[in-house]
Amino acid sequence: MLETRNLDKSFGAVHVTRNVSLKLERGERRVILGPNGAGKTTLFNQLVGELTPDSGSVHLAGEDVTALPVAKRARRGLSRSYQKNTLFDGLTVEENLGLAAAVHTGHATRLWSDSLSKPEVREIVGEVAEQVKLMPFLHAKVSEISYGVRRQLEVGVALATRPLVLLMDEPTSGVGPEMSKGFHDLLNNLPRDLTMLIIEHDMDLAFDVADTITVLNYGEVVFDGLPEKARGSSLLKEIYLGSWENA
Amino acid sequence: MFRHNTLRYVALILLAAGALFQAFTAEYFGLEILTEILILAMLVLALDIVAGFGGMVSLCHGALMGGGAYAYAIFTTKAGIAPPVAMAGAIALTGAAAWVIGAIGSRSHGIYFIMATLAFGQMAYSYVFETPIFGGDDGLGGISRLDLSFIGVDLNDSRSFALFCLAVLGTVYGTSVVILRSGLGRSLTGVMHNEQRMRALGLTVWRVKADVFGLSGMIAGLAGALAAQHIMYISPGLLSWTVSGEALVVVILGGLGTLVGPLIGAAAFVVLKHELSSVTTYWHLVVGVILIAVVMSRANGIFGWIEARWGDRLDRRLADATRKTEEVLTDA
Amino acid sequence: MAHDLGFWTLQALNALQLSMLLFLLSIGLTVIFGLMHFVNLAHGSLYALGAYFAASLAAVGGYWMGLFLAPVAVAGVGILLYSGLIKRMRKSGPMAQVLVTFGLIFVLLDLTRIFWGDLALAIEVPALLDGRLAFLGVEYPTYRVFIIALGLAIFGALAFVLGRTQIGAMIRAGVDNDAMAACLGINVERLFFIVFCVGCALAGLAGAVAAPLLSVTPDMGLQILIPTLIVIVIGGLGSLKGAIAGSLIYGFVQTFGAVLAPQLASVLIYALLAAVLVIKPVGLFPAKG
Repeated sequence: MLETRNLDKSFGAVHVTRNVSLKLERGERRVILGPNGAGKTTLFNQLVGELTPDSGSVHLAGEDVTALPVAKRARRGLSRSYQKNTLFDGLTVEENLGLAAAVHTGHATRLWSDSLSKPEVREIVGEVAEQVKLMPFLHAKVSEISYGVRRQLEVGVALATRPLVLLMDEPTSGVGPEMSKGFHDLLNNLPRDLTMLIIEHDMDLAFDVADTITVLNYGEVVFDGLPEKARGSSLLKEIYLGSWENA
Repeated sequence: MFRHNTLRYVALILLAAGALFQAFTAEYFGLEILTEILILAMLVLALDIVAGFGGMVSLCHGALMGGGAYAYAIFTTKAGIAPPVAMAGAIALTGAAAWVIGAIGSRSHGIYFIMATLAFGQMAYSYVFETPIFGGDDGLGGISRLDLSFIGVDLNDSRSFALFCLAVLGTVYGTSVVILRSGLGRSLTGVMHNEQRMRALGLTVWRVKADVFGLSGMIAGLAGALAAQHIMYISPGLLSWTVSGEALVVVILGGLGTLVGPLIGAAAFVVLKHELSSVTTYWHLVVGVILIAVVMSRANGIFGWIEARWGDRLDRRLADATRKTEEVLTDA
Repeated sequence: MAHDLGFWTLQALNALQLSMLLFLLSIGLTVIFGLMHFVNLAHGSLYALGAYFAASLAAVGGYWMGLFLAPVAVAGVGILLYSGLIKRMRKSGPMAQVLVTFGLIFVLLDLTRIFWGDLALAIEVPALLDGRLAFLGVEYPTYRVFIIALGLAIFGALAFVLGRTQIGAMIRAGVDNDAMAACLGINVERLFFIVFCVGCALAGLAGAVAAPLLSVTPDMGLQILIPTLIVIVIGGLGSLKGAIAGSLIYGFVQTFGAVLAPQLASVLIYALLAAVLVIKPVGLFPAKG
C-alpha cells in the first residue's frame, strides 16, 4: 500500500535519512520507533511530500508519487497527523472535521453549495467523531477543549479525509499514561483495512497497536520485523532502550 | 466561519431602512453622498471577503475598482460597446486580473502579500497614468450610465441612480454571503486558520485563494463600473494605492471579517469625511488619529466592538424568549 | 538611438544618484523590519519631515546646519513615535502595523501642512557644491556627485558597523533570532530602539539631501514610499545587501527604462517586482535563508 525505495536525504552535512526502504501491506499497522533525532518526522515529511528526498522514491498503492505535491498525495489517500497540534484554532470541532471531509468529498471547492451542510460531509463528520470519541465536543471551539481532546481531534481531522494510509506522528505526545492507553484502544478500533504508520515514543504502548515495528537510528533502518522479535532484540535495546532508560 | 446572528440581521435591517429613507427624502447632495457610500460599500465587501475570511490583506483593491471604472469607460466611450455589455466586460476583466494576482500572490504571506498586491496595484496605476488612450492625468469624461428606460427608470436622475446602486449593493451582499457560505468560502477560511493543514488534507490552496480573489475582484470591478457611471468622469487617482489603503481603513473601522461591519464603516467613513472636510482642510489628520486609536484599542472596529459586547447576549435572550413562548404555548 | 558614451555615462550617474537616495531610505526601513518585524509605512513621511526640517534650518543657519541637524530632529520624532506607538504595536500582526502607520502617514502629512503650509519650499544648493564636475568625459552637477558619495560612504560605514563591530554582531543576531539573542544577554529592546532611531535619522538625512534637488512638498513622503518599498521587497527584507542591490536595480531600471523604452518605463519596474515575487517570494537577498 505504501512503499519507499532507497529514500535518502541530507541537510548539509547531516544525513537525516539513509537509504530507507519500507513496505507496508494493506491494513498493516506499523510503528516506527527510534530515539529523538533518529529522523522519524523527517521521514514522514518526505512520505507526504512536505520535504523532497535527495534520492529514492515513494509509492502509494503501487504508484510512484515522489514527484507529486502534498495536496495531490493527500487526495490519493495519504493523510497525516502532526506531532504538534495543527488544527483550525478559531473553529469548532465539527468545522475542523467538516473542512477535511469536504476536501475528500470534493465539496471544498464548490461555489454553489455549503460544504459543511452537505449530507456526505455530515455523515463523515459523525462517523469520525464516533471513531475518535469527539461526539460531546462537536460544537466546542478548539480553544475550548483540553489538550488531550485536541490530540484526538488531530487524528480525527486526518481520518476525515477517509485515507487509505494514515500517518500519525506521536499521536499520544504530551498526554498522560491513562489517556494514552485509551488512545491506543481507539486506534485499535479503527477499521482493519486502514493502513497505519505511527511514530511512537512509548515502547509498551507501541507494542499494543503494532503488527510490525521499524526502528530508525541516525536516519537508518536498524530493525524491521515483528514486535516479539523487537522486544528480544539486543540491538534495539542498545540503541533505543539504552537511550530511553538513560533519559 | 461566516454566519448571521440576530445582531447582524438587526444591523442589516437598520442599514437598509436608513439607506431607503435617505434615498427617498434626500436632496441632490444627500443623494450623491448616499451613492458614494453604496459604491464604497461594495468595494469594502469585496475586500472583507479576502482579508477578513482569507487573511489576504490586499492593497490592490482600489486599483481593481479603478480598473473596472476605466474598462467601462473605454468600452463605452472608445469602443462604442453598449453599457450593459461594457459592465459585464469590466467585471470579467477585473475578475481575471484579480485571479492572476491572487494566483501569483498565493505563495506570499503577511507583509509580503501586502507588498505584492501593492506592487500590482501600482503597476496598473502607472500603466493607466502613462498610456495615452486612458487620457493620462486628465482622465476620461463623458461616461454614460446604463439605460433602464425600458422599465421606466431614468438612471440620470440622482434618486433613481442611488436606488439602483442600493439594489446592486443588496445583490452584492447576497453574493458575498453565498461565496462565504460555499465550499470554496469555507475552505478559504480553513486556509486562513491553517494553510499547512488544508494542504495536507488535499486542498489545492493556491487555486482556492486565486478563485476567491478573482470573485472579490469581480465585485471590485462592478463597484468601479458604477463609480465611473456615478461621477461620469474618471482619473488615474481612482487606482492610487491610497484608495486601497482607505478601503482597508473602512473595513477595519467597521469590523474585519463581519461583512456587516464594513457596511457601517463605509457609511461612517464617507459621512465623517464630508463633515470634516466642510469644517477643516485637515480632515486626514482626524481620520488618521481615529484609525490609530481604533487599531490600538484592539477592538475589531465599530461593529466588532458592538458584537463582542451584545452579539451573544442578544442571541441568548432571544433563545430564552422563544423557549418561554414555546413553553407557554405547550402549556396552553 | 545613437547616443554617445557620454550620454550613457550621464544616465549611469543619474541612476546611481537615484539609487543612493533610495538606499538611504530603504536601509533604515529594511533593518527595522528585519530586526523588529515592524513595517513602517510612515518611513516616507519621516523623509518628508527631514526635508522640511532641513529647509527651515537652512533658512536660519545655512545648508550645512540643515543637513546635520535635520537627521537629529527626525530621530527625535522617531523617539516620540517609538515610545508612543511602535513599542506597543510590535507584537501585532502585519495588518495592524500597516494600518497604524498608514494612519500615521495621514497625521504627519497634515501636521507638515499645518506647520509649513501647502506651498512648495525650495532650498539652495550650498556654494561649495554648486557647479559641475568634469567626470569621465561628462560634466555632472557637483551636488549629485555629493549624493552619490554620501550614499556610498553611508553604505561603507553601515557595512563596517554591521559586519565588523560588536553592535553589528548583536543586530545580526537579533535579525536572525531575537529570542535567542535575548537569551544570549543582548538587550534586544534597547537594540530595537537604537536601530529605529538610526533608521529614522537616515530617512531624515535622505530628505535633507534630496531637498535641494526636488521641491519640498507635503506629499513627497507618499511619492517616495512606493519606490522604497519596491526596493526592499526586491532586495529582500532585513539585509544591507538586499537594500543596496534593490536600490541599484530600481535606480538603473527606472533611469535606463525611461531612456530606452519610455512607454514601458513605469510598468517595467513593477513587472520586475512581480517577477521577483513569483520566483523568490522573499526577495533576492533576504536576511534569513
